Amino acid sequence: MNFIVSSSTLRKGLQQIGGVLNASNSLPILDNFLFELSGQDLTISASDIENTMRTKVVVDEGKEDGKVAVPAKLLMDILKNFADQPLSFSIDTGNFGIEISSDYGKYKLVGQNAGDFPKGQELENANEITISGDIIVNAIDKCLFATGNDDLRPVMSGVFFEFSEDKLNFVATDAHKLVKYTRTDGVANKSADFILPKKPLNLLKQNITSEDSISINYNDTTVRFSFNEIELTSRLIDGKYPNYEAVIPVENPNVLTVDRISFLNSLKRVSIFSNKTTHQVRLKVAGSELSISAEDLDFSNEAKERLTCNYVGDDIEIGFNSKFLLEMLNHLTCNEVILEMSEPNKAGILLPVDKENDSEKILMLVMPVMIR
Amino acid sequence: MDAFYASVEQLDNPELKGKALAVGGDGERGVIAAASYEARKFGVKSAMASSLAKKKCPHLIFVPPRFDRYKEVSNAIRNVFYRYTDLVEPLALDEAFLDVTENITRHSSATAMAKDIRKDILEETGLTASAGISINKFTAKIASDMNKPNGQKTIKPHEVVPFLEQLPIHKFFGVGKVTAEKMKRMGIFNGAHLKAHSEAFLRTQFGKSAGHFYNIVRGVQHSPVKAHRERKSIGTERTLRENIHLQEDIEAMVSKLAKESFNRLERSQLFGKTITLKVKFSDFTQITRSKTLESTIQSEEEIYNEAHELFFKEPPKKSIRLMGISISNLLKNEEHKPPSPEQLLLDF
Repeated sequence: MNFIVSSSTLRKGLQQIGGVLNASNSLPILDNFLFELSGQDLTISASDIENTMRTKVVVDEGKEDGKVAVPAKLLMDILKNFADQPLSFSIDTGNFGIEISSDYGKYKLVGQNAGDFPKGQELENANEITISGDIIVNAIDKCLFATGNDDLRPVMSGVFFEFSEDKLNFVATDAHKLVKYTRTDGVANKSADFILPKKPLNLLKQNITSEDSISINYNDTTVRFSFNEIELTSRLIDGKYPNYEAVIPVENPNVLTVDRISFLNSLKRVSIFSNKTTHQVRLKVAGSELSISAEDLDFSNEAKERLTCNYVGDDIEIGFNSKFLLEMLNHLTCNEVILEMSEPNKAGILLPVDKENDSEKILMLVMPVMIR
Repeated sequence: MDAFYASVEQLDNPELKGKALAVGGDGERGVIAAASYEARKFGVKSAMASSLAKKKCPHLIFVPPRFDRYKEVSNAIRNVFYRYTDLVEPLALDEAFLDVTENITRHSSATAMAKDIRKDILEETGLTASAGISINKFTAKIASDMNKPNGQKTIKPHEVVPFLEQLPIHKFFGVGKVTAEKMKRMGIFNGAHLKAHSEAFLRTQFGKSAGHFYNIVRGVQHSPVKAHRERKSIGTERTLRENIHLQEDIEAMVSKLAKESFNRLERSQLFGKTITLKVKFSDFTQITRSKTLESTIQSEEEIYNEAHELFFKEPPKKSIRLMGISISNLLKNEEHKPPSPEQLLLDF
């Protein structure tokens, strides 16, 4: 098995899928990339059992089809240190000896039997939907930060994909905050849903661009995203996603409209003075004035700022974790935001006022920190 | 400790040494708190009415108790204990259980260790002590009484069962006067007799205590030496001079009790969450009502308001002879944090 490939082309391909590799593996074979040569097509795979990602690189010259597992770290490290140049790989499929020749010299390493590399997950009875990369890119960007880390509730550690015939919903929550991202410019031919874990979400985020067209194949246990030359197959999170619609309050008579950047900057300054455990900031709205304050009794620190706003509703004083508010405001891009509230012990809802995209709806919800 | 209060008095005042001495009041209604061994020879015992003691021993010398001094000596003794083990469960000023299972002083036996402890106590306080050594608290306590004063007794594991079999029934832990009488009527005079009965039979006679009796006579007592006896509740109660039934009187009483129990909380530097109201009526029936708050009690008013609500949510129709308020669910000062803001969760 021999081929000649541009060092930068190969490096790019490996970087696309390298994120799948775990820092430490119980199975040594998982520390390898699987190289499969067929004509001029070199398919490279990486796997952590749960996720398998493959990409295709076109080699300049290929001789003798074959496959071998190549130590990933060694290969990535040497590739980083080459200026772009053709590399010639010559692999002895009998003893898995790999010899790389560059302009500078020769490098030898020993691979492993390709047969030991885990087979990718089968995807039987799969449904298919094709959507634009823009939807996935935005959905991940808006939702990923709101996912939970609670091992006891694994369903909340991923993003909920909910497809229907008139819209696509993407939902994330950690029980403190919740994001629901809706797109009406992508639809499925039948309703379906699944929960995608964080790792594949991050891998998609790294590799998908808005211009891509993504084909998603899924069944009850597995999903496969295919775009460009990349294919990512992931095991889904098993379990029932919480009934998120039920916790989104409908009646929110108190509506605050405020400039997003001013609000964000105020919060950044005031939150420095908040308690280091609760990160609580108080929002007090009366008339058209929003006051933002925080205090840390342990150190006698306190801060208070005032902002002008538009407000419809009864005067209210409500506490929030400033970290959550900051994250949410940071993930919006609009100029003005609406904060809808009902009671100091009920969720606040953050909505963008101006939208870049008419077929997009964003709802962010955050539970208060009770003021005592 | 042997005749603790009396021995301390004799130690501090050498003139009293070798004399029949009683600590306690010698008045009309006085009671003996402790008697020296010299006085005991005349049949003077602790808890005896002073008037009776005087009859038994006309030359008996009465000394008023000095509890601060006893406490001081008690601390000195406890400090000796703590050199041998951390697991010390004080039973009284002059008595404690020590769990020496973990032999940190590397003594060859518990018997040898007891000798050293008694030697240390004598050297450091000038007082003699007696010790009982055995496999559980009950047998150790019985053993400690066997070679008093200034002696010790070890009941070895294989001796425990024969020892208990011959032990008179009233000596058993948990057998008071009434139970002893009942057992004697049933022909149970010692451990062996008690052992002859099945647990099921004992249950029919003694209910809940059956398991305890069944086990203890077999040398089984799973009661660990509790190093820190923590307070479970704090509070106060009052029997009223006259029964009350008017709302204003009741409110005044609740207010008084709230104030007192809050003061006690503060003095002991404890914080509590549960308020319990106890009321005893003229007919001697009694009710308790309690409520647990979300955060610890911070003020007297809080106690008053909660107790008031507990009482008046269903005001009893009878007149009241006793009222009490107690605070439980206690936290120590250092464990207690002021109520902190709470992050609410979505209701999934």
